[in-house]
Amino acid sequence: MRGTYFEDVVVDKVQVTPAITVTETHVGMYLGITRELPAATGGVPDVLPLCLVVGLGWRVTEPPLVVLAFVKLDWHVVKDLRVGDTVHSRSRIVSKRPMRDGGLVVEERTVVDQRGEVVQQGQFTYIVAKRTKEATA
Amino acid sequence: MTEQRRYFDEIALGEEYESPGRTVTEADIVMFAGLSGDYNVLHTDAQFMKQSVFGERIAHGLLCLAIQSGLFSRATTPYATLSFAGLRWKFKAPVKIGDTIRLAAKVTGKKDLAEPDRGLVTLQRTVLNQRDEIVQEGETDLIVEKHP
Repeated sequence: MRGTYFEDVVVDKVQVTPAITVTETHVGMYLGITRELPAATGGVPDVLPLCLVVGLGWRVTEPPLVVLAFVKLDWHVVKDLRVGDTVHSRSRIVSKRPMRDGGLVVEERTVVDQRGEVVQQGQFTYIVAKRTKEATA
Repeated sequence: MTEQRRYFDEIALGEEYESPGRTVTEADIVMFAGLSGDYNVLHTDAQFMKQSVFGERIAHGLLCLAIQSGLFSRATTPYATLSFAGLRWKFKAPVKIGDTIRLAAKVTGKKDLAEPDRGLVTLQRTVLNQRDEIVQEGETDLIVEKHP
């Protein structure tokens, strides 16, 4: 399968995604799926930008990490977003540690708006497949 | 109609809530893939996943995180939340299509903030499946308005 396996993960590598404009439609779909209570008019639910930037990570030219499991998330909301704002994400690999099956990869991620201001940031920890374990992944 | 909301002052340390259950469906996963753009094979390729350790497609971790956020609003009278400040979260076990998850939450921290009209409420949250296994757990920080 095409993807970046644990062996090929480079610590300190930075990745910048394309951007996406957060629309009323995204908010409506998100509220429909989650049944979260709507925020104030024009507001964006706080977990929605986080969901969108994970998808943006699939639109870069580098093959995505072959993630076997999502282990941990530490996340901070720095600033509220409004419908119509355009966000992209900047990420950096902080560390990698091999395990018997795959390895742990920590990634630092920042969500940035159209003014270049950080709106959300945090760290993701994943288990990433090793190339040799591809068949069982 | 005035919407009922609970202010910072009305929330007591140690309060506990439990939400109704919600069955995570294939439709939830497909819609979430469409919304987020996360089409990882873990969530979208039934054939590939048959051969995986999971044996079938699993829900996005963030989908279940988002669902528990919605379940929180069904577990108790909504807080007068001004914003969500952050979370420390662990994904412990996969959620498969047809699993029913629910949220158990407890108020573990209350703190005044620099602005006198608001405070920080920390909740310990546990997401359980129908077998009472913990699938996700962690702490969330909410900024809640004080009684005007």
